[in-house]
Amino acid sequence: MHYISKLTYYLVIILIILSINFFLPRAMPGDPLAYVLGENPDMPTRMTEEEREMRLAEYGLDKPLLEQYLNYMVGLSRGDLGCSIYYNTPVMDEILVRLKWTLLLTGTSTVIYMLLGIFLGAESAWARGKKKDTGSLITILTVSSFPTFFLGTLLAIFFAANLDLFPLGGARIIGASYANPFEKALDILHHLVLPAATLIIAHIGGTYLLMRNSMLSVLGADYILSARAKGLSERYIMNRHAIKNALLPVVTMAALTVQFMIIGTIFVEKVFAYPGVGNLLYDSVLRRDYPLLQGIFLFIAISVVIANFIADMTYLWLDPRVRDE
Amino acid sequence: MTGVTVKDVLGSLGLGILVILVAVSIFAPQIAPYDPHDTYKPMEHPSSEHLLGTNDVGNDILSEVIYGTRVSLFIAFTVSITAIVIGTALGLIAGYSGGVLGFLIMRIVDIFLTIPRLVLIIVIAAFMPRSIWTIIVVFIIFGWVMTARIVRSEVLTLRSQYYVESARMLGGSDLYILWRHILPNVIPLVVVQFIMEASHVIIAEAGLSFLGLGDPVARSWGTTFHYAFECPNIITSDVWMWWMLPPGLCIVATVLGFTFVGYALEERLNPKLKTVVGMGV
Repeated sequence: MHYISKLTYYLVIILIILSINFFLPRAMPGDPLAYVLGENPDMPTRMTEEEREMRLAEYGLDKPLLEQYLNYMVGLSRGDLGCSIYYNTPVMDEILVRLKWTLLLTGTSTVIYMLLGIFLGAESAWARGKKKDTGSLITILTVSSFPTFFLGTLLAIFFAANLDLFPLGGARIIGASYANPFEKALDILHHLVLPAATLIIAHIGGTYLLMRNSMLSVLGADYILSARAKGLSERYIMNRHAIKNALLPVVTMAALTVQFMIIGTIFVEKVFAYPGVGNLLYDSVLRRDYPLLQGIFLFIAISVVIANFIADMTYLWLDPRVRDE
Repeated sequence: MTGVTVKDVLGSLGLGILVILVAVSIFAPQIAPYDPHDTYKPMEHPSSEHLLGTNDVGNDILSEVIYGTRVSLFIAFTVSITAIVIGTALGLIAGYSGGVLGFLIMRIVDIFLTIPRLVLIIVIAAFMPRSIWTIIVVFIIFGWVMTARIVRSEVLTLRSQYYVESARMLGGSDLYILWRHILPNVIPLVVVQFIMEASHVIIAEAGLSFLGLGDPVARSWGTTFHYAFECPNIITSDVWMWWMLPPGLCIVATVLGFTFVGYALEERLNPKLKTVVGMGV
């Protein structure tokens, strides 16, 4: 029963997102045709009346709103997100070409920042009130105050421009021919270090604080006291009793933070000229490529909703108390 | 050091930073050496005339950053105050009256929390004219949600408290109870929420402006950074030191100021947290 109502809820959300995407160019000040053609809506158009009508018909903008809406939905169901003005290719193709890089970048960073955040948060809570705890708390609060683009730029300046340890940008050396797959992997990894490091530093704060708080409340529980009374070693209590129980809220939050990760990726990919979906979004804003921009928005929004749905399902499955309510 | 905790130190430090920044934004015309729109020789290195040099069109960078304080803080405060007032009002209604209206408000809250906020903000802002009002409006649209949710759940608890029930039995009207008994108890939560929202808006506005969606005339720190970033070869030369570092550090300082104040206030204003967080620092 829970599963069905959740599913309905998420389907409604997706319908709302699709509708926002449809009505956005039509509700905004300015001519919807200007958005489809990528013209600056603030500038007077140079089109003649006949030309304009021809264009409107070409994009189906002369039809009644309801018919436009239905056509849009039918197109979407076929995976048709429209055509990019700048590239003059289907939006879906442009996204798919870049998707693998974004998945590589976000995937690697998510795994590392989660593990690192859990470890540091647990250690910090264990040493609560001591210098080590205060030190890491202040460091992490400070680092979390850096906007992602500023953090990335600083890393690029120090480690790429000045120390020359890593490449300034890109996902691999353009036009390089590799002797073997291992060499290729190494090159990709070399390009991945700085963007991934930026994302990890920018996102570790949330997991760290959550884990620290969760650990602190677990440490006050009776079973920790009895474990101590049994004479178990501190390390053993921490690893076997405390961390395990403190993990639940952190795991639940993991999928919910997907959207922050995706937003961070937009900035990181821009700073490091990483050829992913985020960089494409930035370019589409600058070039006023509205069909591309809207396609990427839909793609990201729906991915995030699906991630949230999976998180909800996992939570129901993990915690019987919620399930049987 | 007896009686002075890390929280107190951080709190005062944060407050100090915020007071300085507010002062800079109020007295920007007196402090800034030039009008940020006056043009001089472009791409000048720092000198006694231009302490932070000039940008690609010849504006004095120091003046631009000083005036940027105004833009960034104005956006942050306008958005968070409006969003918090709306959120508190809707949260009070949803929590106190319940019914269809309350249900409707909470469904909207759920939907807003599920849709990725900043991505939608980027798309909407891309369709609207580039101005600080665009940014203010789009942030308010999404800013009230969390507050409404937090206030509602607090009101639900407060509503069934004995003193609220007795006030009602003594014939207190709904408006009187809300104003006299519920609101004062919600205020501490709202203050913490205001600080968190303000610091969120500072970072999000900087991000939006970095993407080129900021007001090109009233330049915030993020917009200054955007134009610096779009300039070729900036990070391989020394120019970043006076063109990127100052606006970047201003953003960090502001967010830190809010974070530290929020961190120090959280426990003092919300004693319930003490049992969990208070075990720590």
